[in-house]
Amino acid sequence: MLIVDKEGILIRYNVKMEKSMTPEEAAAELYPKEELYKPIAEAIFEGEEDDVIEGLEAAIAAGKDPIALIDDALMVGMKVVTDLYDQGVIFLPNVMMSADAMLDGIEFCKSQSTETPVQKGKVVCMVAEGDVHDIGKSIVAALLRANGYEVIDLGRDVPSAEALAAVKEHEPLMMTGTALMTTTMYAFKEVNDLLVESGITMPFACGGGAVNQDFVSTYSLGVYGEEAADAPKMADAILAGADIAALRAKFHNH
Amino acid sequence: MAIKRFTSMAYSEADEMVFGNAKLPVKAGLDLEIGAGYTTAEVNYAPRPEAGESMEKLVNEYQRITKDIMARMVQVGFPSVVLETEHVQQMTNNPSWGAAVAHAQKTIMEEYHEEYGIKCALRHTPGDIREHKEFMQLRGDKMAVVMESFEQIAESGADLLSIESMGGKEIFDYAVLRNDVPGMLYAIGCLGTMDMDYLWQEISSVAQKKGVVSAGDTDCAQANTAMFIAGGLLDKNLAHTLAILARAISAPRSLAAYEAGAVGPGKDCGYENIIVKAISGMPMSFEGKTSTCAHSDVMGNLIMQCCDLWSNESVEYHGEFGGTTVQCWSESLNYDCALMNTALKSGNEKILRDLLMASDRFRDPQSYVLAYDNAYAVGEAIVKDGEDIFLRAKNAAIACCDTLNNADGLEMTKFELGALAKATAELDAITSESETFMSECMERFSKEVPVFKPENYAL
Repeated sequence: MLIVDKEGILIRYNVKMEKSMTPEEAAAELYPKEELYKPIAEAIFEGEEDDVIEGLEAAIAAGKDPIALIDDALMVGMKVVTDLYDQGVIFLPNVMMSADAMLDGIEFCKSQSTETPVQKGKVVCMVAEGDVHDIGKSIVAALLRANGYEVIDLGRDVPSAEALAAVKEHEPLMMTGTALMTTTMYAFKEVNDLLVESGITMPFACGGGAVNQDFVSTYSLGVYGEEAADAPKMADAILAGADIAALRAKFHNH
Repeated sequence: MAIKRFTSMAYSEADEMVFGNAKLPVKAGLDLEIGAGYTTAEVNYAPRPEAGESMEKLVNEYQRITKDIMARMVQVGFPSVVLETEHVQQMTNNPSWGAAVAHAQKTIMEEYHEEYGIKCALRHTPGDIREHKEFMQLRGDKMAVVMESFEQIAESGADLLSIESMGGKEIFDYAVLRNDVPGMLYAIGCLGTMDMDYLWQEISSVAQKKGVVSAGDTDCAQANTAMFIAGGLLDKNLAHTLAILARAISAPRSLAAYEAGAVGPGKDCGYENIIVKAISGMPMSFEGKTSTCAHSDVMGNLIMQCCDLWSNESVEYHGEFGGTTVQCWSESLNYDCALMNTALKSGNEKILRDLLMASDRFRDPQSYVLAYDNAYAVGEAIVKDGEDIFLRAKNAAIACCDTLNNADGLEMTKFELGALAKATAELDAITSESETFMSECMERFSKEVPVFKPENYAL
């Protein structure tokens, strides 16, 4: 059997560029200093739901407001996770597990108060009609929630009329559409046309599988997202005042 | 058809495996023999989206595609070709549509065969439509539609029957996003295999009744999902060591088709097919550097090492500078086959196989494990407990981890090594009792994954 030294044939750039700091060391630098918040942030980073609740109970017992804890502890802990993901220090499954823990924490805080927390904004997530592949949508929804957005998850195989009705009802700052197949992505155009006919000008962020920038650029509300991680960045940009043209300028890279 | 598990290897050693030769060649279509001493291109394509509006438009689109491919084959002088039509959902949901397309394509292929003598075969792959909006429905009404589709395409000209089945995916999608190794083992190794057993006995019966070939499946829904999420070297969505773990577990799952009556060639996007070929001795289709039109991978040369059919995965039909996409890609595929066939004829096949393998061996943990020598070792671990679907999947996962833990010359990141160490420890901690594992997983995932319906697996 022929074995040839890899020198000059390939380079594992991920090994070459790897950061020297471990994820735990990097996270330790970002945790909040406040004694009651730090264990909650650590538990979020570790994805340990039970420890999150335990930390919240301790903070509430010490007099902290449950609803304020969402922003002051849970979201701060989650930001450690999403920042390290953006920096390439940790990977997606860590974000997913942390998001699960954070959501449990939010539900717990809500159950301890009569007040309703205020979130950054609403985003509707859908999978194109005829398409049952929803792992991409699940990732997008988790990353949006991890960044403080309320997600209205319409699920998979969503009829265009249902998407329109959800947008009218919830008035989100944007809607995301994912599709795996070239044949189902055409539904995005139909959704776009229904939205436009109703006078809606909200960005419709689309991506996944065979979806490409050229196709998404053919309908007026379309903004192409190459990565699931683009979704919260688009939402942040919209909150900062970006319109569809500005979003396309920022996210259409090809 | 009865299930007959593999408990031994078809090849006595890894070095015996080469491209273009299988222990059990398959005759199909118009004078084609697959794995019988030569390789053949398998061209795959998707209609333009607007073609799905009606049956007439679809038939017309596939006629254009078929004519384009066959014309280019004879223009450049290639001796054989396989066409694969992966159904758009309309073609499976309306079995007469799929049948009309198969008939139209086969008519053109027969004309070219008659006029030029080109050896060819038509593979049809209905979509796995066995689901409702909220959850999978693997048994019942939708299964009946899938089987009706197989019946009609087999009557109408399809020579090779395949599907990319989805059993276990509802658990896998949940598990893979949480680095959940026992969940992946349960999803692919147990639930996936159980569904394969059920589905492929039925498909093989149809094939036998209609006199066509029950060809094979791929774990596209799970192992390829892991591979695509893992992405390139700099992507941060899944450790590549976990992606190859999913791939290793998918080998005994895809093997189940051949235990239920399928005879090959296996489906192109089953990168696990190298392990399946080592065990079954049946011809396999592969894709790699010539499927970049559909997706990237990190083993484009290596995966060609032992192919019998060489595919481009899929390309949307439209114009390019060099002709239509199907003309361009069919020509590229067949030039690769011409090189492999030259190597075979001149006795240099092992040299070319090793050059292909060596060029990607150290590119990634995925390519390292799928190098034919390491893939063979995973195969040996599977057949050791071939009768027990849980144990053989667990063995495959452990063999994959062992291969990487003892890798010589492969560089891995701390993250990849960390994920590997965690997976190795988790596998060590899993019971060896099949019933215990199954019942624990059943209880756990029934709670954690609302769309999991045990009745899909007769549980």
